[in-house]
Amino acid sequence: MKSERWNRQVIVMEYSHISPWMQDVEELPVEMSTRVRLARNVSHLPFPYMMKDDGGLEPVLAKLEAVLDGYRRVEMNGLQFEDKALLVEKHLVSPLFTKRGLLSYISEDESVSIMVNEEDHLRIQTMGVGIPMIDLYRKADAIDDMLESEVDYAFDEKYGYLTACPTNVGTGLRASVMLHLPALTFGSRIQTLAANLSRFGFTLRGIYGEGSVPLGHIYQLSNQLTLGQTEEEIINNLDELKERIVEEEMEMRSWLESEHLLEVKDSVYRSYGLLKHAYRMPLKEAAKCLSDLKLGTDLKLIEHEDFQFQKWIQLIQPAFIKMRLNEKDKEITSLEHAVEEERAALMRQLLGGE
Amino acid sequence: MKCESCNEREATIHISKGNGFEKTEKFLCEQCANASFENDFSYPDDTFNIQKLLKSLSEHPSLQQTQRRPKQCGTCGSTINTIVQMGKFGCPDCYATFGSQAADIISRVQAHQSEHAGKMPVKSRAHLKTRKKLEQLRGRLEKLVETQEFEEAAVVRDEIRALEQAGDSDGI
Repeated sequence: MKSERWNRQVIVMEYSHISPWMQDVEELPVEMSTRVRLARNVSHLPFPYMMKDDGGLEPVLAKLEAVLDGYRRVEMNGLQFEDKALLVEKHLVSPLFTKRGLLSYISEDESVSIMVNEEDHLRIQTMGVGIPMIDLYRKADAIDDMLESEVDYAFDEKYGYLTACPTNVGTGLRASVMLHLPALTFGSRIQTLAANLSRFGFTLRGIYGEGSVPLGHIYQLSNQLTLGQTEEEIINNLDELKERIVEEEMEMRSWLESEHLLEVKDSVYRSYGLLKHAYRMPLKEAAKCLSDLKLGTDLKLIEHEDFQFQKWIQLIQPAFIKMRLNEKDKEITSLEHAVEEERAALMRQLLGGE
Repeated sequence: MKCESCNEREATIHISKGNGFEKTEKFLCEQCANASFENDFSYPDDTFNIQKLLKSLSEHPSLQQTQRRPKQCGTCGSTINTIVQMGKFGCPDCYATFGSQAADIISRVQAHQSEHAGKMPVKSRAHLKTRKKLEQLRGRLEKLVETQEFEEAAVVRDEIRALEQAGDSDGI
């Protein structure tokens, strides 16, 4: 009963809005949202992939709920496919979690989510925009301390926090920042950059993590190694690297402006035209057009009040669009077409087109 | 008949070695026969010394068992094969169960790093602190006993006992 009530609350609250933490953020030219996650496990219990049902986690969860004040409990098996997709698009849970996860605890402003039985028993995740990464880590760290007061973590003096996958052992920390890199993509520098990063233990990936495709020239920069360094060292290194990439992107943008201005202007205004006047928009195209528009506004080639790249990129995602369709309650013959039409309608509306 | 080896005792054992083409025969006493078993009952070019092999196996019965049944984690039942196949450990205890193999895997995926340098759970912090304190006290006790300062040694001994007892109740 309890969980049903909670789930309904989630549906009512989450369907009409973007996560509160993402509202009214001031956008930077390259840097977007930042995330920090800690992987933790309960001692002497099999890892989630080896568990049958909740495998004895219930008493642990009861203890956690005692300290998780103001968090909503969202059970995965009580959710429809669209609800799950929406949680993924909001980055509140991972794609893997929607298939196998048990439940998650989500903070009121949706900037914190704790996944239970993702790859590890607990994954504490904090998100923010324009907040120093170290502050996001401190927030996750404080939640970690709070949970640890209730649960015996699997910890080893030599290896640190023990995790299902050896790629997370040690700190269990994965810090990541989303970067909008259209100029580096245009100059084909992104592949070399990605290859070099991996030599230093960092990776560049698509916006929904492992295996996902970069959308709208947005990449996720994150640490690959979790052992042998303190949390602060990992974050400082990542921060430094991020600054370097931002610098390179800005340099490439100046180069674009001086050497390829007409080309850039052309693609910015073409995309603007499409967004403003198209009647059908596949996701990739919409993301690419928004990316062009963002570059155009950053380079001051075009001006548009209220343009919010980060927020709009989320609004065009399939589950968000389907949610709008559901609200309209209109008859649909082809879902794919209906979604593309709705996406185009949303863009026209946001950009003041017809 | 006298023993062919020592020529003193009576030969009681007949040893015959051969592979069908060559054959050697010896008539030995019990003592010399035993020595010959231990020293030389193989052909010079025999690389597969069955005697040595059986001997080593009888000395290490556990080896026989481990070869037949791969090591399994007592908590989750994982073997090193399932871990390698899944790319994941089955439970936190696997890390200790598969000691050096786990270390190899970790070192490989963590770019040769092998020691945690970051945060420790509060509970472990207290545990490690107690352990360090105990080590210090034990060292001091030894020195005090050496220098025959028994009065102070008794105080340190009581301190150690108190810490150990507190540790027991904390599961240390």
